[in-house]
Amino acid sequence: MKKLLFTLLLAALFLAGCDRQERAGLVFSVGGAPAELAAWQDLVDEFRQVSGIEVELLRQPAETGQQRQGLILALKAELPTPDVFLMDVGWIGLFAASGWLEPLGDFDRSPFFEEVVERVDVHEGELIALPVYMDGGLLYYRRDLLALAGRDAPPETWKELLEDAVSLLPAMRAENPNFYGFVWQGAQYEGLITSFLEFAGSEGGFVLRDGRILLDVPANRAALRLMRDLIRNRVSPPSVYTEMREEEVRLFFQRGDALFARNWPYAWRLHQQPDSPIARRIGIAAPPGPTAEERVSTLGGWHIGVSRFSQRKEEAMEFVRFVTSREAQRRMVLALGWNPGRRDLYDDPRVLEEMPNLAELKEVFEKARARPAIPYYPQVSEIAQRHLNAALAGRVTPEMALQQAEEEIAALMARYGM
Amino acid sequence: MSTESNNSAADRLPPRERREALAFLLPVALFLGGLVLVPVLGTLLDSLHRDVTFLPRSFIGLENYRALSADPAFWASVRFTLVFVLVSVPLQVVLGLLIALVLNEGFAGRALLRACVLIPWAVPAAVSGRVFELIYNYSYGAANWLIQLVHPGAGPVNWLGTELGALAAVVVADTYKTTPFAALLLLAGLSAIPEDLYGQARIDRATFLQRFFRITLPLLKPVLVVTLIFRTIDALRVFDVIFVLTGGGPGGATSALSIYGFRYYAAGDFGYASAVSVILFFISLTLVVGYASLGGFGREAR
Repeated sequence: MKKLLFTLLLAALFLAGCDRQERAGLVFSVGGAPAELAAWQDLVDEFRQVSGIEVELLRQPAETGQQRQGLILALKAELPTPDVFLMDVGWIGLFAASGWLEPLGDFDRSPFFEEVVERVDVHEGELIALPVYMDGGLLYYRRDLLALAGRDAPPETWKELLEDAVSLLPAMRAENPNFYGFVWQGAQYEGLITSFLEFAGSEGGFVLRDGRILLDVPANRAALRLMRDLIRNRVSPPSVYTEMREEEVRLFFQRGDALFARNWPYAWRLHQQPDSPIARRIGIAAPPGPTAEERVSTLGGWHIGVSRFSQRKEEAMEFVRFVTSREAQRRMVLALGWNPGRRDLYDDPRVLEEMPNLAELKEVFEKARARPAIPYYPQVSEIAQRHLNAALAGRVTPEMALQQAEEEIAALMARYGM
Repeated sequence: MSTESNNSAADRLPPRERREALAFLLPVALFLGGLVLVPVLGTLLDSLHRDVTFLPRSFIGLENYRALSADPAFWASVRFTLVFVLVSVPLQVVLGLLIALVLNEGFAGRALLRACVLIPWAVPAAVSGRVFELIYNYSYGAANWLIQLVHPGAGPVNWLGTELGALAAVVVADTYKTTPFAALLLLAGLSAIPEDLYGQARIDRATFLQRFFRITLPLLKPVLVVTLIFRTIDALRVFDVIFVLTGGGPGGATSALSIYGFRYYAAGDFGYASAVSVILFFISLTLVVGYASLGGFGREAR
């Protein structure tokens, strides 16, 4: 009862300002920076001209966790709006298993990254979402400094990365005492998991075996030890585990205070701005791995889906078709420097002219690794974040952290009858 | 306690006036019932269910509570929350009392100073949390800048990097924000103490400390207890400062109960999160009842 009131109240707040009057058209929930929302507004205006369907943008905060909460409350209350929304790859599994996503029916999947669609967007044989834009973890490196060390290629293994950093650090620190080798997302939040999966490589991560989720496996132990030692040996700054999120990593690297950084593709444009001290001195590559063969990039990105409670499903489907069309995607790519969800744009000459990196990124995305598509992934991730972060802080050993996380995850699954 | 005296007072009324009195009380009863009792009972009911968005809702008795008691993270949260209350509340009330004593004296510019003291309380906690984030920041924070100014060559400190450091950082940020509130309540209590009591004490040549302990403190006790109740309940459900400043880290070291429960709410596990709320509610209730008997509110009503 309280939950119901609470849900309704928050859902009402969530929809504040647009829930009163009879709605003229679709409500589309989308979050992001002001520039992104402006680009969405343009796209929605164009859709109205083409189809005659009115679409109202329900503007959301940029932060993924906050967007998830807002949507969960509206969908839990079975509200008819928003009709269409964007979802982070990390929580499509939860939305699908909760029965909130309307199957999209027959859609030509071939223009999209098929492996990604197969792993993330298909639930019980039905297509329930489609990628709007793609993300994958990348290694950013200082081309100018690696050249100084006589290296012409970025590292392919963590060992090589460490060697590069160690060989350059003394000279760099003589000039700039705040210089570090490698900055990455290590604070206690979802980003820690995305870095961890790349440190662990294809043999580690959340290992699904016999209906259990294993964490205490050799690849993960080695990864967590490496992560802790990077901080301990001051190759990475201690603030990695207290404050490093995407933007902190970007700012640190952009100040010229690090040789390597782990970040998403969005950082590229910002690093290359004319006023950036590192503009034209950097390169990107797929993240290193324990061995060159075990390299993985963590899959990120936003996918579009239609609410099962929508009363305008036909129009919503048409909007999904429009947003994922080649023309609309190209517009968004050119406006925002996004990585499109459609694979066929990665060879588009007009797009490649603007974004020459796209060819490289395509390869990264094709091999990118999705987080487990289980409905209770947010809880599993929360447990793992807490223990991994404790190991980085030196509060527990890596072995203990992984073991305890594994036990807590097993208890969680038992509680859900999984 | 106080209900007895209320009943006897009501009994003394003639029947018609009694009915009228009850009619006047009805809106309050409805208001409290609708906005306090119903939600509390609803949460209690939810906490006895498995209520997760991706599973059918089912009654599971005390299963959520059993799972809670078996989760080491829950106990770590309970421990942190209690430590936070024990450290921050006395600090805030003592500091608040000192500020209130100063502001209660007559001096030029007192009104202005009184207004200034309230400013931190007026700033939203999320905003002051962000400000403290900038103070503690490892790379460009004010705290490390100051240290290197005073002590050139000293390395920057990772303030939020240890359990103790993160606790201290959160306590300082919370104390900055809420001490003015304690000061304001206590100031109201101080100004209600009759001035002639102090005059008489001076005639008896009581020292400052004697005046404080014999007059101020005993007469301030009811307000002091109210302040403690407010601050304790607030500290028990501390959320925003921690959420902004540490996110519960490092390694869950500052994961207050409200943060622990919130994570499950935000992930769609309403039954389990309700159980956390219920436990938080009963901890608050126990402490409030304890304070109330400490303050002797029941005796006063007689």
